[in-house]
Amino acid sequence: MSMQHDAIRRGSKAALAYALALLATAFFAFPIFWMFTSSLKGDEIITAYPPVWIFAPSLQNYVKLVEDLGIMTMFINSSIIVGLSTCLAMISGTLAAYALARFDIKNKQMIAFEVLSIRMLPPIVSVVPMFILARWLGVFDTYWLLIAAYALAGLPFVVWVMRVFIQDIPQSIEEAALIDGCSRVEAFWRVTLPLLMPGLAATMVIVFMFAWNEFLLASMLTSKAAKTLPVIAANTLNAKSIAWGMASAAGVVMSLPVVVLVLLMQRYLVRGLTLGAVKG
Amino acid sequence: MGIQIKDVRKRFGALTVVNGVSVDIAEGEFFVLLGESGCGKTTTLRMVAGLELPTSGSIHINGKDVTYAEPRHRDIAMAFQDYGLYPNMTVYENIAFPLKIRKVSKADQRRKVEETAGKLGIFNYLGRKPFQLSGGQRQRVSLARALVRNPKVFLMDEPLSNLDAKLRAVMRTEIKKLVSELGITTIYVTHDQIEAMSMADRIAVMRHGDMVQVGSPLEIYDRPLTHFVADFMGSPPMNLFPASMTTAGRPTGEVREFVDAIPDHERDLISSRLDASGQFTLGIRPEHLKLVQLGSPGSARAVVDFVEPLGQTTNVYLTAGEKRLIAVTDRCVSHVGDVVGVYAPPEFLRVVAN
Repeated sequence: MSMQHDAIRRGSKAALAYALALLATAFFAFPIFWMFTSSLKGDEIITAYPPVWIFAPSLQNYVKLVEDLGIMTMFINSSIIVGLSTCLAMISGTLAAYALARFDIKNKQMIAFEVLSIRMLPPIVSVVPMFILARWLGVFDTYWLLIAAYALAGLPFVVWVMRVFIQDIPQSIEEAALIDGCSRVEAFWRVTLPLLMPGLAATMVIVFMFAWNEFLLASMLTSKAAKTLPVIAANTLNAKSIAWGMASAAGVVMSLPVVVLVLLMQRYLVRGLTLGAVKG
Repeated sequence: MGIQIKDVRKRFGALTVVNGVSVDIAEGEFFVLLGESGCGKTTTLRMVAGLELPTSGSIHINGKDVTYAEPRHRDIAMAFQDYGLYPNMTVYENIAFPLKIRKVSKADQRRKVEETAGKLGIFNYLGRKPFQLSGGQRQRVSLARALVRNPKVFLMDEPLSNLDAKLRAVMRTEIKKLVSELGITTIYVTHDQIEAMSMADRIAVMRHGDMVQVGSPLEIYDRPLTHFVADFMGSPPMNLFPASMTTAGRPTGEVREFVDAIPDHERDLISSRLDASGQFTLGIRPEHLKLVQLGSPGSARAVVDFVEPLGQTTNVYLTAGEKRLIAVTDRCVSHVGDVVGVYAPPEFLRVVAN
């Protein structure tokens, strides 16, 4: 009797847990679903109320994005700028973090704090000086300007996060490598770096996402040649009307690379994001 | 040949960790650095390894000045307290790593790794990752990785301190056997005096960055130079009595009978071991104290406080005057509260500096 009772209670507990999980998933997934379906709807049904659930999907919004707004160019711009700036921030940031974590440097804490202070300035404050500087240097509306800006913006984050990941690796592992015949660089490359992969993946995804979605600097520091995706996505909204279909399509196009990156890094990400919690 | 450490000092900012250490370690010798944590023993070892650079002084390994050389140019191997295994590599890859770095051919790598793993009894674990091994197995892997390339010098930093007592005793004999068979010059750091006693050819007892005494295990046990060494070596520790000599040739101390019994050759040592205020310490090992009939010639009156029968021997805790003593005797029939005589055979009394 009581065993049966227990089984029912356990079963209903599990059902409740599933229901809650489903609810949470729906809460986060619904806007994405809405964006994706809207991007396939025609302008006439997109704003219909009550919503139209069954419709003939069309790719016309995507075609318009390519033909009218030239989104392919922006996609390439974004990929180059964000790709390069992420690599730059990751490489220099990780090396800096390694030095701060491992070497006996004077005023280490102050240097680390200095690096972080770049991020303390609200971007809006620095955008006008950057604009003037960019004009003066002749790099306005070029890849280089945004690459530099994004790399710098990502750097403090990389330094601070990677420093913790590096400190988590026991020093004796590297020392063993030094004794086993490695130089410092070899020890880092052969022993430390493979162990850092989860941390690198997690950090890279976050730095990439920040730069990929960045709007303020992109809109102020480019005019044509180096325009990026967020700027063009915003162009679908203008003073007279909002092109909901195109905005949704732009949203889908912008989300895709992030989704792909996360899927590629998934193997490392789960470990990276939980490394602090379950060390072992 | 071997290792020569000459007046090596290490300062971290205002803190002096190693304070001018000099020692000459012979080829093939098993040399133990013994001391409490923070005494500078590990820092000394790390300077020999090249993981730390000395502030001053010099280090020679096999006749070559390596004071500032990188670790990889010193032809040394090292075992770490937390093993220092590469967690992402298998046991095989871990052991093969130093050979791979030295560009040894694949076939030779395999042969040497399998040979070394066989010697250390880990042949069956070559395919596992370090986290799948027990502590004792991990330490064997780290020893195998160190020994696989036949190093001239082997450095060990408390390699057994993370193991349980029983395994420690087993590994102790194994390590000692292994390195003496291979004839590798070894420096071994430990805070465990039993490890030091049982493994070392010579021990250096360190304290506050100084080598207080260097000698064979029995020399250090039998003739400790200072109060610290006397107290540190041996369990239960040496009985130590504060004594002084303000008038030359007339030492006085807490237990009169013992002071009076100091033999001539020890008496001659007193003046050289006195501190600035004319104090020294008189010591006798617990196993040398004899319980005798009250009033026997040369014995002091003592009361039995506590009796600890250990089977083979018995620890008897006594109070003589104000002073507490420990005597290790055969199985005995002392009872708490007994009043007995304690006799210190003169040949076992030691004059020790404070």
